[in-house]
Amino acid sequence: MVYIFHSTLLWMTDSIHYQKVDRDSAILQVYPMLGQYQVPCTESDTVQLPEVEIFTPALDKYTIGQHVQVISEKELEPFQGLALAEYLQQRTGLFLRQYGPGMLASLTMRGTSAGHNAVFWNGLPINSPSLGQADFSILPVGGFDQVAVHFGSGGALYGTDAIGGAIHLNSKPKFGGGHQVQVASLIGSFGRWNQQVQYGYSNEKFSSRSRFYRNFSRNDFPFRNLSKMGTPVEFQENAQVEQWGVMQDLAWNLNSKNQISTAVWWNKTDRQIQPVIGSNTNDTQQDQNLRWVLDYFHFGKNKIWNTKTGLVKDELIFNIKAINKTTQYFIATDLDWDIHPKWKSKSGIRHTYITGDLDTYQVSESRLELYQSNNFHPNEKLSFSVNLRQLIYERNWAPFTPSLGGEWNVWKNKTQSFLLKTSFARSFKVPTLNDRFWVPGGNPDLESEKSWSGEIGLKHVIVKNNFNFEQQITHFRMSVDNWIIWLPNGSFWSPQNIRKVNNSGLEYFLDVTQQFGEWKLGLSGNYAWNQAINQTNISENDRSKGKQLPYTPEHKLQSMFLVEKGVISSFLNTQRVGERFVATDNASKLNPYQLWDVGVNYQWTLGGKVSGNFGAQINNLFNTDYQVLRLRAMPGRNFQFNLNITI
Amino acid sequence: MIRFRIFTAFWVLAFIAVSCTEDVPEIPLGEFEKGVLIINEGAFGANDGEVYHYDPVSGDIKNDIFESKNGRPFAGLIQDLLEADGKMYLVANTGKVEIVDPKDFASLGAVDTDLNISRSIAIANQKLYISDYGPYDENFNSPNSYVAVVNGLNGGAVSKKIPVPSQPEGLIVAGNFLYVACSAAEKLQVISLATDAVISSEDVEGTPAKLKVIDGRLYLFARDAGNIYFHEINRNNFNIQNTIKIPLANATSNFAIGEGGDAYVITSTGWPDYNDAVAKVSMNSASVVNPSLYTGSGLYGIGFHPVSKEIYIGDNNGWQGNGTVIVINGSGQTVKTIDAGRGPSGFVFK
Repeated sequence: MVYIFHSTLLWMTDSIHYQKVDRDSAILQVYPMLGQYQVPCTESDTVQLPEVEIFTPALDKYTIGQHVQVISEKELEPFQGLALAEYLQQRTGLFLRQYGPGMLASLTMRGTSAGHNAVFWNGLPINSPSLGQADFSILPVGGFDQVAVHFGSGGALYGTDAIGGAIHLNSKPKFGGGHQVQVASLIGSFGRWNQQVQYGYSNEKFSSRSRFYRNFSRNDFPFRNLSKMGTPVEFQENAQVEQWGVMQDLAWNLNSKNQISTAVWWNKTDRQIQPVIGSNTNDTQQDQNLRWVLDYFHFGKNKIWNTKTGLVKDELIFNIKAINKTTQYFIATDLDWDIHPKWKSKSGIRHTYITGDLDTYQVSESRLELYQSNNFHPNEKLSFSVNLRQLIYERNWAPFTPSLGGEWNVWKNKTQSFLLKTSFARSFKVPTLNDRFWVPGGNPDLESEKSWSGEIGLKHVIVKNNFNFEQQITHFRMSVDNWIIWLPNGSFWSPQNIRKVNNSGLEYFLDVTQQFGEWKLGLSGNYAWNQAINQTNISENDRSKGKQLPYTPEHKLQSMFLVEKGVISSFLNTQRVGERFVATDNASKLNPYQLWDVGVNYQWTLGGKVSGNFGAQINNLFNTDYQVLRLRAMPGRNFQFNLNITI
Repeated sequence: MIRFRIFTAFWVLAFIAVSCTEDVPEIPLGEFEKGVLIINEGAFGANDGEVYHYDPVSGDIKNDIFESKNGRPFAGLIQDLLEADGKMYLVANTGKVEIVDPKDFASLGAVDTDLNISRSIAIANQKLYISDYGPYDENFNSPNSYVAVVNGLNGGAVSKKIPVPSQPEGLIVAGNFLYVACSAAEKLQVISLATDAVISSEDVEGTPAKLKVIDGRLYLFARDAGNIYFHEINRNNFNIQNTIKIPLANATSNFAIGEGGDAYVITSTGWPDYNDAVAKVSMNSASVVNPSLYTGSGLYGIGFHPVSKEIYIGDNNGWQGNGTVIVINGSGQTVKTIDAGRGPSGFVFK
């Protein structure tokens, strides 16, 4: 079945309160409706079955004062099998440092470094404990159903790494969907061929979904070889990417008060590493990632008790020889309790056991963290949240992280509302295993990186007949201290807590839709202004102080215009990335670039039982020659076609 | 590492000769025909090697002179730079040689195919000889090292690869022979320029790095954990006829020859102190004159200015950004600092 679920559920039962979360993101807080399904109200003309999503805790319940942007399954659909990095780069205001198409892509949020954002899959943190970051090129769209982006510090809510923000990848299987087969294909330039097959069955008590995918790209795109006389156009070599994955979701409603759900995701990526222009390296990298999560939910009166366990197993093999393996085992439990209509509380504990068998060292480590979140709604106009967290790793106390958020409904009438938001937060990042134990150079005495941040934002919403308008502006300031960098120490490199960075900036989000009869027009936009100013020189001759961090564009703008009429829709999308400095002294920089993409999508049904959509897209419409990072070739104009069939 | 083998005296004399001969019509000097060329090796994985020009008289610095002139980045790591026959050869260890006009750095040609990890270059008989590690094997060893031969001084295709022991570094032409310092194999290799074939191979003490003619004598510089070696080569039988062994610990392969048998060598203690220094050694007395004439961290390239007698030291500033050139006098005092490019690794004084 096509998922027809979005933001229009509102229902009540005896014991459990079902509500639409009327906040930023409309992440649904949907509780199981055992035996009494209702058909959600939707304008879609697809066949509707009484589906109910498997319970996942509302991400934004305790994020008062901050912004969470949700990317739905429908928005992800045209990126079937492509890296999440591609989606975030093309369709959001976030910037990713991409070493070529399909190559390592690390995210920078609010001007912080690649390891300064936490990434979760179904509530499990999946940043590599050895590298301290996630590679967004090996998180293919298809490995999850929904993405939520939490902007700003979230250390108290999420633990280590969430200094600039957090990314949540969630599976959204359902109950009551019957049998369902889904086939998705994407074919594109440079040998791109992505294929996904899914079978799902669910009734009111049980839900199962299995998915298999293979994504491939020869990646032999033409590029101008700047390292050669006459800069000839050559075809990229040694950049092929092949990826396979299997996913399995299962869920049981044991009875009206107990639910168990589990998910497994195995992903393997086999890549040639695209060399920097001017080099002729033939490096290869194989990544294998296995993630498993098991959730038990008990729904009591005004209480939800969740116990979560799981593991995240990462293997990275570079050039066959260098083998790096880490495994994280998690067990956590928390109680989310609506103490009073005005008071909500969540208390929890999480234990993580990490083992690392890296190329140059072996290590194991335990981490224990306690967290407490509270919401207080004194009246309709005001809400506050206070979150606290303390993490201990191997007898080291990470910085205690409190956060405080508030929202004030300044003004509201039938069509318009203004919401003022503010938040203050402390965050931290535990030094990675490599930082502490790599041989040679690892520094076991490193302290956690730590930050203070504050933000203030205004959200403005207009809803009038067929016109919807939503905009939000946020100003933030942040200071990150104890920032770890690796410096050459004689014949090798070693990390030190040496840098301090002050970040400040603006985020702007816009979402407008207007309906004229059959026609629907949409305009969305994201703009990010990030200043990340280095406050330290590492040596007498260093010229980094007062300068913007490298590869951190001050400006990024993304906008998309959408036209829809009945079953046909088309879009025009653009992203503009400002200049990026190549190194800390800002002596050289890369030019800004702007890319345009255009596409069309057609939804069809066949005999009432088979439905699907067909999309065609031109990326980099004007064949712009650009580099995200210096001398990393990127493709010019390219085409992609995607076809989804649902039975 | 970079060798600078410019015949400074020749240039100084030529300059004086031109300046003093009023009858000869004055030919304007090219932009980069005097002053100091700063070779910035570039950072691994970034291919941002470049050459800067520094005018010691005005203090002016011109950045990225290759890219400025040619409208494209050098896009490689500069390993060696040689001026010969009115051309300047820039060797990238990313497998290419760029050939430019020394006057203005305008591109004249290149060798950009069939090389792997090129290290150094020598010119003889209208041919280019390029030392190359060859491709790494799976353990990052270099079992297929070679010296590539290119017919023609403007580059082009590699016509022949002469196999040599592992990881050839410095090259020098003396007489009708090409001498090759093979670092991993710890051998000195001699190639006949008449036949382009190896005619002699000899084990040496220490890891050999560079070859230099000092006061008319041909030396091979080598080092190990506790010593540096100047092996003097007999040009008749290719044997090492004499070795100056100087007890200098933690020497790198970066050194500059001063005056009166003095040499300046960069040392690095590594972990845990990781202190770098410039040591002054005497070849005449085979002793260390001053183990720490200058101390710092991130010291990378070194050069001796033959006219001002100042020592130019490249500081890589931890590779976080561009480097700095520190100019010191003979007593080790800092005279000035110059903003350089990424990883300043060598100098050409003109």
